[in-house]
Amino acid sequence: MPPLTEHVVLRDLDIVNIADFDVYLQHGGYEALRSAVTEHTPADIVQVVKDAGLRGRGGAGFPAGVKWGFLPKGVYPRYLLCNCDESEPGTFNNHQIIDRNPHQLIEGIAISAYAIEAHTAFIYVRGEFAAAARGLERAIARAYAHGFLGKDIFGRGYDLDIFVHRGAGAYICGEETALMESLEGKIGQPRLRPPFPAVAGLYGKPTIINNVETLANVPMIVRNGAAWYRQFGTEKSPGTKVFSIAGHVKRPGNYEAPFGTPLRELLYSPDYCQGIRGDRKVKIVVPGGASAGWLTAHDLDVTMDYEALAAKGSMLGSGGVIVLDETVSAVEVAYKMDEFFKHESCGKCTPCREGTYFLVKVLHRINHGHGRKDDIPLLHDVYNQMAGNCFCLLGESAVVPIRSALRLFPHEFEQAISRAGNGHAIPLIPAH
Amino acid sequence: MPDVTLVINGQTVTVPAGTNIVDAARAAGVAIPVFCYHPRLPPVGMCRMCLVEVWTPRVDPATRQVVIGDDGKPVMALMMGKLQPGCVTPVSDGMEVRTATEKVHVAQKGQLEFLLTSHPLDCPVCDKGGECPLQNLTMQFGPSTSRFDYGDKIHFEKPIPLGDLIYLDRERCILCSRCVRFQDELAGDPVLGFDHRGRAWEIISKSDPPFDSKFSGNTTDICPVGALTSADFRFKARVWEVRPTASICPHCPVGCNLSLDMRHDKLMRVMPRENDYVNEIWICDKGRFGMRFIESADRLRHPLIRKGDSLVPAPWDEAIALVAEKLSQIREHAGAASLGGLAGPELPNEDLYLFQKLVRQTLGSPNLDCSTGASGAPEVVDLAATLGVGRGTNLAKSGAGTAVLIMGADPEEEAPLYVLRLRGIVARGGDLTVINPYPTKLERSAARSIRPHAGFEAFAALALVKAVLDQGLIATEFVTARVQGLDELTARLREQSVESLCETAGVSEASVRAAAQAFATAEHAIIIYGRAALAAGEDVLRALTDLALLTGKAGRPGSGVIALLPGGNARGALDMGVHPGAGSRRGMGAREMWAAARDGRLRGMIIAGMDPARDNPAIAAALDALEFVVVQDIFLTETAQRADVVLPTASIAGREGTFTNAERRVQRFRQARIPEYNTPAGWEVMQRIARALPPGRSESVTDARPVAGRRAQRASGATATATMDAPPATWDYAVASDVADEIAATVRGYAGTTYASLGLTRAPEWGRQPDEAVYYDGTSYQNAEGIGIQIAATADDPKTVFALRARVPAPFTRHATRPYLLLAVTRAYDGGEWGRESKLRSRMVPPHVILSVADAAAHSVAPGAIVRLESDAGRIELPVQIEVTLPQGLVLIPDVCGTPLSTIQTGPQTWVAISRVA
Repeated sequence: MPPLTEHVVLRDLDIVNIADFDVYLQHGGYEALRSAVTEHTPADIVQVVKDAGLRGRGGAGFPAGVKWGFLPKGVYPRYLLCNCDESEPGTFNNHQIIDRNPHQLIEGIAISAYAIEAHTAFIYVRGEFAAAARGLERAIARAYAHGFLGKDIFGRGYDLDIFVHRGAGAYICGEETALMESLEGKIGQPRLRPPFPAVAGLYGKPTIINNVETLANVPMIVRNGAAWYRQFGTEKSPGTKVFSIAGHVKRPGNYEAPFGTPLRELLYSPDYCQGIRGDRKVKIVVPGGASAGWLTAHDLDVTMDYEALAAKGSMLGSGGVIVLDETVSAVEVAYKMDEFFKHESCGKCTPCREGTYFLVKVLHRINHGHGRKDDIPLLHDVYNQMAGNCFCLLGESAVVPIRSALRLFPHEFEQAISRAGNGHAIPLIPAH
Repeated sequence: MPDVTLVINGQTVTVPAGTNIVDAARAAGVAIPVFCYHPRLPPVGMCRMCLVEVWTPRVDPATRQVVIGDDGKPVMALMMGKLQPGCVTPVSDGMEVRTATEKVHVAQKGQLEFLLTSHPLDCPVCDKGGECPLQNLTMQFGPSTSRFDYGDKIHFEKPIPLGDLIYLDRERCILCSRCVRFQDELAGDPVLGFDHRGRAWEIISKSDPPFDSKFSGNTTDICPVGALTSADFRFKARVWEVRPTASICPHCPVGCNLSLDMRHDKLMRVMPRENDYVNEIWICDKGRFGMRFIESADRLRHPLIRKGDSLVPAPWDEAIALVAEKLSQIREHAGAASLGGLAGPELPNEDLYLFQKLVRQTLGSPNLDCSTGASGAPEVVDLAATLGVGRGTNLAKSGAGTAVLIMGADPEEEAPLYVLRLRGIVARGGDLTVINPYPTKLERSAARSIRPHAGFEAFAALALVKAVLDQGLIATEFVTARVQGLDELTARLREQSVESLCETAGVSEASVRAAAQAFATAEHAIIIYGRAALAAGEDVLRALTDLALLTGKAGRPGSGVIALLPGGNARGALDMGVHPGAGSRRGMGAREMWAAARDGRLRGMIIAGMDPARDNPAIAAALDALEFVVVQDIFLTETAQRADVVLPTASIAGREGTFTNAERRVQRFRQARIPEYNTPAGWEVMQRIARALPPGRSESVTDARPVAGRRAQRASGATATATMDAPPATWDYAVASDVADEIAATVRGYAGTTYASLGLTRAPEWGRQPDEAVYYDGTSYQNAEGIGIQIAATADDPKTVFALRARVPAPFTRHATRPYLLLAVTRAYDGGEWGRESKLRSRMVPPHVILSVADAAAHSVAPGAIVRLESDAGRIELPVQIEVTLPQGLVLIPDVCGTPLSTIQTGPQTWVAISRVA
């Protein structure tokens, strides 16, 4: 699949200084909003987004237009939430969008809010994105000043307010119901579902929550049409995806590529990452954020779309691709990743709160040369006691690294444990 | 709701739609273990202990039809492909639940292993040990060993106080949030919360003072582990050593069912006893922590006789003989009418009944009362006997379709548990209106809060009546059949308009109309009134009565009127005839008795369980003027110190008896221990006095009217025909139930309230499932000792007819020179004798006056400053507290011990002037 000649989302790479309001306007900015509000009904917009097959970029890949259709008829007010609590390890595309191309997001939010008949939208920004959040607020102020937001947009009687809210640094607040709790001023923890947010979300009102990247696609779809959008990507995963590629590659960064681009191309093509540092071998690729199942060097021909990765027992997730070469220890990677989940577990449900703590305690001792003979079956038991039993996906995600590690690299665990028995030093990196 | 049929472990069950799987399984006799789930709290699905296999018929996504397999049965699919938490999964038709599969057992074992990773396993020294769900469920479902390193356990400082009453042990806490949810959702005091996250997640108190709630003790009951323990019970006893005794809380008119947990003859703790009709499974902290007085070292042990200036111990025979001699002397010389009796509304029915029998029949005096007669004490008007709530009312079942109107009451202080009951009604979809001249906490839960100017409450109440007439909200059928005087009422109110009445009362017309609409159109409606309504006077109660009558909200279950009167058994005191109007000849009430004492018309008094001289120099002086005073009490009160003879009695722990609550439920309490210091029950003291009295002329018992002996009457099953004037003249009660039998035979409405009937629990409607330990272990005790009997109100008889009596209140004028209206308000923690030895002592407030922000500013007083209040009656000085939401012009004085209210009050509502002192 050829690389893009022009970007759909990362247009800051094509147009210098598109973050500037005037530059954005010169390049057709807010035309899609004008067209939507003045020429189309909300239902038209929902339809074109459905036709384009735009899938949610937050991780689940659920079709955005279909999600919008879940709103109960005639129940107002409705809210649109833009999820910019980008906290998934190895994922950093939302930050680039709000930092370098904020108006495309704002326009996308405005069009989407119009489509779902919401008059209030919130952007929940990860707390650490302080500077970008301020930039976003300045951009929103410009849009207000030009009448693209606020009262009576384009004289068609449509009102919209957008508020930027910064989180306080919790991974769980990227989970949509926890995000709503946090936005309401409560402790950030997931809510029981049902009711689903589309029925009773923020402040108990029908709420649509979409990722930054999802919403940033909307102006381009509205401007160019569904057929144009579908020229990118695959039948079931249309469009492009911004992959955040990090780790042991020569040129890490955000790369926007059509869905269906092979993983190998992303890692090795001169258009993308240009290979592995020191031309070493790939050992582990985590293709969709820390919650995605691990791939190995044998899996590099997988195409990067929702279906193909699911078939590999992994997932596209947030598009955060973590590449690790042969110098790493699988035990340590599993330990570090589960340490992250332990740190971020909200504590609401037993298996996640206690299970992550338990896993990390065992992984810590194996990794530090104090592993025991029974630790491998114990690890299997502990993650099995978590898998499928947690309140939300955080706990389920914590199962993934250790299960992948034990499935793909069992010998490293055995080796670490047997060496520990022999009184050897801490086996941080296996010998090759 | 339609029913749903499902299969649980092969057993077919039908339950109402919306039932969750845990409750449905319970109905089928299958116990699914839970920790965070509690049947009286909304489920959250956090602890994951209730994971079960849920199979549902597979539906073809294309056709939306159930897929039928080769065997002709629906093909079943495991819901979401994994285990589901039973507490948050509602049942559906055709569902199959499996709770005993290998997969489920693994999950249960796993959750328990997780929950115990950082648990300190200090069961041997844990107060919960022996009634701990974590302990029990681990034995039943858990692994026998832990694979978690002992050294990896997280340690916390233990325990830490969440407040002065409740301690938190964070090592034991399994973070189920039952306590937080109880405070948020049931108590309406959202003072608990969580801090940090993950394994560091912990319960904290967010209020100042910490854990500021009158219901905090309940969290220790529903805590499924030993994380929350009470300062009152910590390390007192092992739970298997205690002997629970069924009791009734004497502190307020709710009449919560208690269990006094005794070890030998020592009270170890107080627990709630389940009774859906009264307190569900909850009690307030006053009931739980306010019972230590029974073991106070200050309790009276011996009769005391005045020798000069001092009271000296005397043998019972001597004391009784002296009482009999003095009382009969006065009766001979000055007539029976020169004797009077006061009995407190905290005494059991048996004591009150024999008290009035002694005074009215044996001594022959009609002068009886159950109020203190202090100048500011409002007239006690209890509509419970006439209208009342209909027999069969169960507030725990009231919800959608029920409207509640609070008029002039602060349930949180006057009858705390009603807060939970009323919030429950609101949570189940009921409507709540609060009308009160000053802010109360309950109004936060109300659909509308209406705040009339103090002194103008009657206009607001009348506006409701007028709105009902205006808006055509009259229940025609009920009014035609049972109400008289509609035309006259309409005529009386012709000149009035809702608008003008609302304007006078200072309330929003729209709110009043909405309240009237909600009240009249609801299927069921209940009026609750209390101290502020009584203080506002009779016109309020007349209007409330007519509101209930016009809208047909009387004489049927779920509707009617509840009065929050001071004392735990005011209803019983009135029923037993301890008020001046109960006999054929009206006698003097308390206030008239004090006047008569001062001018010599009253010569002797018998006072039981009441301390009218407390904080009241005028009454103390009146007592001193009497020739002879006998006081029966458990402490040497201010009043007792002025007596000629003091007779000690047993507390409710040392005897048995009955109370009648605000909803007219007669409830029985059992004897928990041998009487403290061998003191007799109050009724026994009455009997001793009666027997010692020489037969004299009795005004109301006539020889011409033969009254069968009590025992004979009971044997023949004679119905109640006697009046208060003519109970059987005999005094041969061997045990408390003999008195109760006579009450059942003679007191109107009490037929059938024998101890045997009061002790029934009415299975199968009542009673627990055998496996309910899953939910309740360590919480409330199963009620096997009776749920009491609700006696009928007059309105329950469909033949009774009522007259409409609402009238236009006299114009209420402000005082020319004293611009502030003073109201005395009830405080649950009032510093009374009940609080002796109690952990609640730290919560008792010293005397103070509460001013609005504007009034405090006008006098430039800051909190803590001293102000002088001056009325036509006198002046007092008190420190100031400022209440942000208090309306300007209103001054509140909490009626707590040490407040010289009587010095200043000219009546229930008093005009005062304020000046700053310091």
